[in-house]
Amino acid sequence: MLAATNIRKTLGDSLVLKDVDITVTPAQIAVLLGPSGSGKTTLLRALSCLEPPDSGTIAIDDQVFRFPWDATNPFIGPWPRVTVVFQQLFLWPHLTLRQNIQLVMKSVRRLRSDAHLCELIDLFDMGEFIDRYPNQASLGQRQRAALARALVLKPAYILLDEVTSALDVEQVAVILSHLLELRRQGIGIMLITHLLGFARRAADRVFFLDDGTIASNGGPEILHSPSHPRLKKFVSVIEAAT
Amino acid sequence: MSIIDILIQFRPALLEGFWVTLKLCSIIWSIGLVTGSALGAAGARWALPVGAPCRVASFLLSAVPILVLLFWMHYPVQAILGVVVDPFYTAALSLTVVNIFAVADVVRAGAKGFPAEYLTAARVCGLTPWRTMLHIQLPILLRQLVPSLLMQQVNMLQATLLSSLIGVEEMFRVAQRINAVTYRPIQVYSTLAVFLLIICLPLNGLATWLKVRFTRDLSDR
Repeated sequence: MLAATNIRKTLGDSLVLKDVDITVTPAQIAVLLGPSGSGKTTLLRALSCLEPPDSGTIAIDDQVFRFPWDATNPFIGPWPRVTVVFQQLFLWPHLTLRQNIQLVMKSVRRLRSDAHLCELIDLFDMGEFIDRYPNQASLGQRQRAALARALVLKPAYILLDEVTSALDVEQVAVILSHLLELRRQGIGIMLITHLLGFARRAADRVFFLDDGTIASNGGPEILHSPSHPRLKKFVSVIEAAT
Repeated sequence: MSIIDILIQFRPALLEGFWVTLKLCSIIWSIGLVTGSALGAAGARWALPVGAPCRVASFLLSAVPILVLLFWMHYPVQAILGVVVDPFYTAALSLTVVNIFAVADVVRAGAKGFPAEYLTAARVCGLTPWRTMLHIQLPILLRQLVPSLLMQQVNMLQATLLSSLIGVEEMFRVAQRINAVTYRPIQVYSTLAVFLLIICLPLNGLATWLKVRFTRDLSDR
């Protein structure tokens, strides 16, 4: 289980996360929703220990990180057991999409055979563009490659920041089916999205973050009939816009 | 007397001049690239103790014309110190110092501007610091820096011609001597120009090609 308790994070002068508690269990898709500036990405970066929180505890299965971190202990992050796909993707630009995946496959997982890569290429239907450089591929193609790069690591938990932002309806459906497959494989997934329909179909658990606090959380039903006034307004605004 | 005649008749002198230029360049290039890269990397890592003094030195050097620096190192400095140094070494030292700080500037700017996001991606993918440096940082940095560094080395090659003015027997000095004997300035200096073109043009072309190719590979859409 990936469990964060009392997560507090300050950026500059502003308190972005205010004692947030959040949990992702294996084989679960947790969806993190919230208005822009509510602290979603900061929370995701804190959960992955990329930007350690000022205070709080993050437990990843049997590994516990207590913050503020004791500076006398070297900090060894939970990567790639916990991995992240960022909104901006950050594919390495000097490598083709295939090489991006191969680098982590061979360096981290020590896989010499390309069989697993071929599976991923088929899974994400990347055969047509896998040998392109990131700047030669469309955003949707890059998103699929970034997701494949993360999946090749066989993470226990994967955190996804708006990875469907540039995808069309068909591609979103493809990603959704992949996420459901990952859930079936026992991977715990936390994803940030603004797509309400996607969240409703994917989520086992929903967390609504507002002004640095979890204002509401529960099963996907809270998105169908939200009772929290702030979530209700958020859902109605998105529904009106779409 | 044609260019061919000059090349045949003065071949030993021309080769000797070329050899001196080559020696001068190899000193300036090798020390400049190695020391400058190390200084640039250190300047990016330790901005205040290393980066700031380097930037000041580089700023001052860029304001002094190379010719003035060569003369200053050749006459006043040696007079003040009461030493006499072979002009070859004076030129080598002066131009190497210029090259070191120019290279350090390029490397420091490249290293400081390296997008941290690519390193973050490497961290979450579980790449070790060593593999991150080997597979991510160095290849991207080299692609960004090699064209500029190559152009800088071409500039330094051209700057070695100025060392003739303090008495270094390099290509330009040899050409002047040949001209003094033959009084065929058109043929002599055309020979020199062709000679430099043969050396510099491929280097310039390579730098431009690398720049276009790598810029295309690394650019955002």
